Amino acid sequence: MTGRVWELLAVPLRSARRAGLAWGISLAILVGLTVAFWPSFRDQPELADLIDAMPQGLVEAFGLADFNSPEGFLRGNLYAVLVPLLMAVAGVLLMNGQTAADEDAGRMEPYLAQPVTRGGVFLGRVIAVGAWLVVIGLLMLVTQLASDAVVDLEISTARIVDTVVLCLLLGALHAGLAALVAGATGRPGLVLAVGLAVGVGGYVVSALFPLSDILEPWRHVSPWDWALGGDPLTNQAEWWRYAALAGPALALVAMGALAFTRRDVSAA
Amino acid sequence: MAIAPEPLVVEGLVKSYGSVRAVRGIDLAVRAGEVFGFVGPNGAGKSTTIRCILDLLRPTDGLIRVFGQDPRHDGARVRQRVAYVPGELRLPERLTPRQFLTSLGRLRGGFERARLAELAERFKLDLDRRIRSLSSGNRRKVSVLSAFLTDAELLILDEPTGGLDPLMQHEFLRLVRERRAAGTTIFLSSHILSEVQSVADRMAVLRNGTIVAHGTVAEISGLARQRVEVWFETAAPPHLAGLPGIGEPELDGRRFSGVLIGSARPLIDALAGQPITSILINEPDLEEAFLGLYEDEAEERS
Repeated sequence: MTGRVWELLAVPLRSARRAGLAWGISLAILVGLTVAFWPSFRDQPELADLIDAMPQGLVEAFGLADFNSPEGFLRGNLYAVLVPLLMAVAGVLLMNGQTAADEDAGRMEPYLAQPVTRGGVFLGRVIAVGAWLVVIGLLMLVTQLASDAVVDLEISTARIVDTVVLCLLLGALHAGLAALVAGATGRPGLVLAVGLAVGVGGYVVSALFPLSDILEPWRHVSPWDWALGGDPLTNQAEWWRYAALAGPALALVAMGALAFTRRDVSAA
Repeated sequence: MAIAPEPLVVEGLVKSYGSVRAVRGIDLAVRAGEVFGFVGPNGAGKSTTIRCILDLLRPTDGLIRVFGQDPRHDGARVRQRVAYVPGELRLPERLTPRQFLTSLGRLRGGFERARLAELAERFKLDLDRRIRSLSSGNRRKVSVLSAFLTDAELLILDEPTGGLDPLMQHEFLRLVRERRAAGTTIFLSSHILSEVQSVADRMAVLRNGTIVAHGTVAEISGLARQRVEVWFETAAPPHLAGLPGIGEPELDGRRFSGVLIGSARPLIDALAGQPITSILINEPDLEEAFLGLYEDEAEERS
């Protein structure tokens, strides 16, 4: 029995290897290259003055505050927009590839015709995507810590770990959403549309709503706010932020798996 | 002692997609150890029925039992005793046949490597080239092997010879006979009548989601229509037009043509000793072969 369970995991792990490594290496390169510019930023206070002269709202929307501190530099260049957005996109694309896209292409059928349960096949794929997201996060984290040391960017390791984990969980939440849509409909176009719309929409809500007095309280509906609203590079993130991302991610996956066991499998 | 349940029973199966009824009330009973032909033109509902049996589709109505179990609720257990060759060939492109088949084997709880080598040899399939680079015939072999590698008691084969060259089709039919001799039950779907005729014990003919004929292969073959053309060295003998079992007779100089219904014997007897240049009996096109059945069915309805 264990051989079967392992195979349900091994198939998608292997099938997502290329995409998973491509995402992990790309994000690691992005982080490494960005950090390499730290010494020249640190030595040019003029840029920070320029940013200080911009309207306060804009500075906050793009996470540019304290741009010449290590925290501000990493937040503005990486962890306010780019890294969380790419993690969300990676989560949606990887999950879509292993679920709805594979089903739609008819490539899930040979596996579903074996003596395994539908829920088992689906969950094997979801767990494999989760594992690849962890690999992506680890590659990014290791590169961040190593390149910080090389260019003397002084920042607490704990804050970096927290931030990367929160970005990873944001990606997992979007992957969970993709799993729900895939499980319920099996339509890859819809999975991408919903997943990417929620990802970008969440950013817009958390970044731009604070600029308006009326909309400001609504910023808290955005998963981006749950993940990064406390500025995890500067302050230790509260425990509930992890729970607010991981809990719904697991619930979405469970609903997706259940929905998948209750409908027709798409024909090729 | 309880009687072992039949490998496959289908009663009143209906499958609708929105307002389209792909399967409109099918009844089938496949007996242990037989080869059952499931024949019909493309789009008749063969694949839909089969995908319901494997619990890939959920029937709108009706009952399915595989060895007495309901695939809807005991899917994994049912599929332990069933192996399936899908009609649509979609395989993981980046794997080799060996990797893919080994992986499926693990999901079934293991398989014999020796048997894989033997079957690959028989079908001349290179197990270590990526599936992406394989022709459609070779992909079909991968799919056929995936079912015949198992020790499943019921093989469900959906158009398994599509894309295979004649030599390999022949090899496939030999394999089917071997498995039947070993006691395996085989459910063979096809739109090629001759394929089913050569290997099946009983068959059902499907059209527009309903079964229009079922019985032994001999019984059903007697209902089939085949187009016949005969060329003579001299003018075609006119008495051919009045033979029993010949429809739509046409005499045109040295050529005679008509539709052969049921036994070919009266025609062959009449042709014996005639100065014949050539004779052509077409592989019956399914639509044409069972035209009579379809018309009867239409009459019954009206």
